[in-house]
Amino acid sequence: MIAVNGFFIAGAVVCALALLVAVIATAIRKHPDDWALIGAVATELFLIAYGIAAAIRQVGGNAVQGDPVEFWGYFITALIMPPVAFFWAISEKSRWSNAVLAASAAVTFVMVFRMEQIWQ
Amino acid sequence: MGEKPRNSRIMQAAQARSTNKAPKPSRSTGLGRVIIAVYGILALAASVRAVYQIMSKFDEAPIAYSLSLFSGLVYILATFSLSSAKRGAWLVSLWAVAVELAGVIVVGILSLTHPEDFAHPSVWSGFGEGYGYVPLVLPIVGLWWLYRNRNERHA
Repeated sequence: MIAVNGFFIAGAVVCALALLVAVIATAIRKHPDDWALIGAVATELFLIAYGIAAAIRQVGGNAVQGDPVEFWGYFITALIMPPVAFFWAISEKSRWSNAVLAASAAVTFVMVFRMEQIWQ
Repeated sequence: MGEKPRNSRIMQAAQARSTNKAPKPSRSTGLGRVIIAVYGILALAASVRAVYQIMSKFDEAPIAYSLSLFSGLVYILATFSLSSAKRGAWLVSLWAVAVELAGVIVVGILSLTHPEDFAHPSVWSGFGEGYGYVPLVLPIVGLWWLYRNRNERHA
């Protein structure tokens, strides 16, 4: 298990909100919903902030417990996902665009969870 | 500089190409986009992880990590063939999805009977438990989706 910290809670909240909005949008909208798209942007912004904080932690002596290559591998993979989901979503107007954004939010949460596991 | 755009061979070729383009197959629209997106996520996750495993600890479980890379490549193939409008892409998708289903079942069983070779984390070990059983469910969804769009088989 992982020790809960502020960053993890923040990430969980951002991903959960983005997921919730995207799931609701899948149900009630027949086009990519603005708020669902904003959710993808929010998860990406969180990941950038998380990455900067992680880099500072790493340089500042509180180094990653697991393999740093694995940690940063996860980070880069996570970072790629929301923008791809964003453009994949806006390239077609259908309710399923929102489901793509929901999948991206769920996967981002899993990635943050795994990164926290590797870190501790 | 006097050349007009309509005399440009490149422009003509580009226009001819865009008018000749087949309409999007329906398997890559609507719900199909979600399926392709999940395939893309798995392709990325499996391939990146496999490359990391092979580079850092290949000796620990060469069979499991080679299979990891193979599964990543099959997911990449499925992602592209499902979204492709090219002739034969439907059939390629069918093969890719079928190989995934066979892979997750065979490797899932082998990880129980031969844990020393297959218990190392890969997409298919333990029937995809490390990935929330998505690798087990997704090929079934994929087969259903291809069956629903079977009219595109020869398109």
